[in-house]
Amino acid sequence: MEAVDRTTVMKQLIPTKVDSWRAVKDDFYDPQSIFDYIDGAGEVYRAYNFQLLLARRFQGPEGRLIFVDLFFMGSPAEAFGVFTHDREGEKLTIGGSAVYKGGLLSFWKGSYFVSVYAEEETPATKEVVLRLGRLIAKRIKEDSPLPSLVRRLPTASLLPDEVRYFHNHLILNYHYFISEENILELDDKTEAVLGFYQFKEAQEQVKTVLLGIRYPGERQAGQAWRRFIHQYLPEAERLPQALVQTENGLWTGAQKNKNLIAIVFDAPSQEIALSLLTSFLQSL
Amino acid sequence: MKKSLTRRDFLKITASAPLVGFFSAQQLKQSVDQAMTSYKARVVLIRDAQALDNQRKPRAEVIQRMMDEAVRTLLEEEEPLAAWKKLIKPNDIVGIKSNVWRYIPTTTEVEQAIWRRVREVGVPAKNIAIDDRGVRRNPVFQKATALINARPARTHHWSGLGTCIKNYIMFVPRPSAYHGDACADLAKIWFEYGLKDKTRLNILVMLTPLFHGIGPHHYSERYTWPYCGLIVGIDPVAVDATGLRIIEAKRREYFGRERPLKPPAKHIFLAETRHHLGVADPAKIELITLGWAEGRLI
Repeated sequence: MEAVDRTTVMKQLIPTKVDSWRAVKDDFYDPQSIFDYIDGAGEVYRAYNFQLLLARRFQGPEGRLIFVDLFFMGSPAEAFGVFTHDREGEKLTIGGSAVYKGGLLSFWKGSYFVSVYAEEETPATKEVVLRLGRLIAKRIKEDSPLPSLVRRLPTASLLPDEVRYFHNHLILNYHYFISEENILELDDKTEAVLGFYQFKEAQEQVKTVLLGIRYPGERQAGQAWRRFIHQYLPEAERLPQALVQTENGLWTGAQKNKNLIAIVFDAPSQEIALSLLTSFLQSL
Repeated sequence: MKKSLTRRDFLKITASAPLVGFFSAQQLKQSVDQAMTSYKARVVLIRDAQALDNQRKPRAEVIQRMMDEAVRTLLEEEEPLAAWKKLIKPNDIVGIKSNVWRYIPTTTEVEQAIWRRVREVGVPAKNIAIDDRGVRRNPVFQKATALINARPARTHHWSGLGTCIKNYIMFVPRPSAYHGDACADLAKIWFEYGLKDKTRLNILVMLTPLFHGIGPHHYSERYTWPYCGLIVGIDPVAVDATGLRIIEAKRREYFGRERPLKPPAKHIFLAETRHHLGVADPAKIELITLGWAEGRLI
């Protein structure tokens, strides 16, 4: 679709009037100009390859403002990914998934990530924010399939609202610090998912983490595998399988299958670690 | 189970030792030795319960009074003007680096409180400019011999905290070049663009700080509070480190538990340990608190 068509489509996805609130301003931003609009957080959307943002401002009673930010992310996977960057808040059923907190509604549907934000949070503005969100979600006709990598996560004991999907190591470190260096060689061509698990065998508040990565090819996966093992699990270089009990008494390990790598951190037992790794890597 | 040092902890430590609070015996000794031998950076925290009106708008006369008292105390002078004359000379060309972020700007009242005293020192109006995003094009900033750096404290999506150190990113042609690793190397800007030696004063505006951010705009009024303070110092790292302690204390109070900034504001600590721009360790900071004490959090 040509860029000019995309702007037209996006404009039609957001109503121009809701109750006494009227659209007063539209602005479009691309990955280069986004910093003019939202400062440092622009990096997050760029990390998910966002393509176009329509920012529509609504004015309501007493000059109050509501901002609708409609991000065209290029694919449902990217839209889901950017949604998973910040999942805190009241869970709602709008679009693929939604959260509300502090005057802000965020949801994803199809290839769009949507943020509706009331500058001043009141019960009345919350109602308008949610209504706007539902209207926009209804106008987006596209389906919202989860990325296939996410569907590989074993579901038993998984904390579904804490799943993160992303590409690069800056986002990985934001959610789960592994190393300042990009030892897993993540970039915009890799897909990665973080699943957090709460096992009854584990101590309270200790979560097990499963990191799954899909590389563009086996060669890249092999290279990243060797670097990770060498720098993070050097003792595993001498073991038949890359699984070690670390200094905190928990189990960390990794497995590779073709262009996929799975790494488990802080499993309460060797068996649980192995089970997570093999489940993730088996064919869907 | 006793908390033990894992390899993830180790990798964090090697990136920014003071950040996580884990020290080897040798690191601890070095840190103590440095604290014993190096100077203490003086920082003044001043607060006034009347700094904001009912609409949370700064009261100009109160802000001026706070600024005067802070600078006077910082430089140990009887009168504010005498203190300002230690910072600025009449023949200086002065850039006041502000911050225009829509939700929490530096504020006109703070900018004018600075501008007024710089004028009274004897600097002609034509040789003073207030700017943020236009500093690279601003002729006064291009010729500036002195800079005064004033910005609000707020959590920041990519650097953990918006700080005085970070406020100079607008001097860089491509700011996103410094976004890597949670903006770890922001302090480099101060050296690479000749800003460290020109900077005479740093002011972290804590009138309505943001202690938690959400959404694309990283803002909700819910996560601000009327702290009614200014943090003033010569050392930008010491000023920022003090602001960070207050933000962290507010997060503990609000969330009822330890909730570290995400990402961590590691650029503040690396400004000391990696770039030597100033000091972040509280043991190396002489903190003077003035004014309203209730809810000071530090």
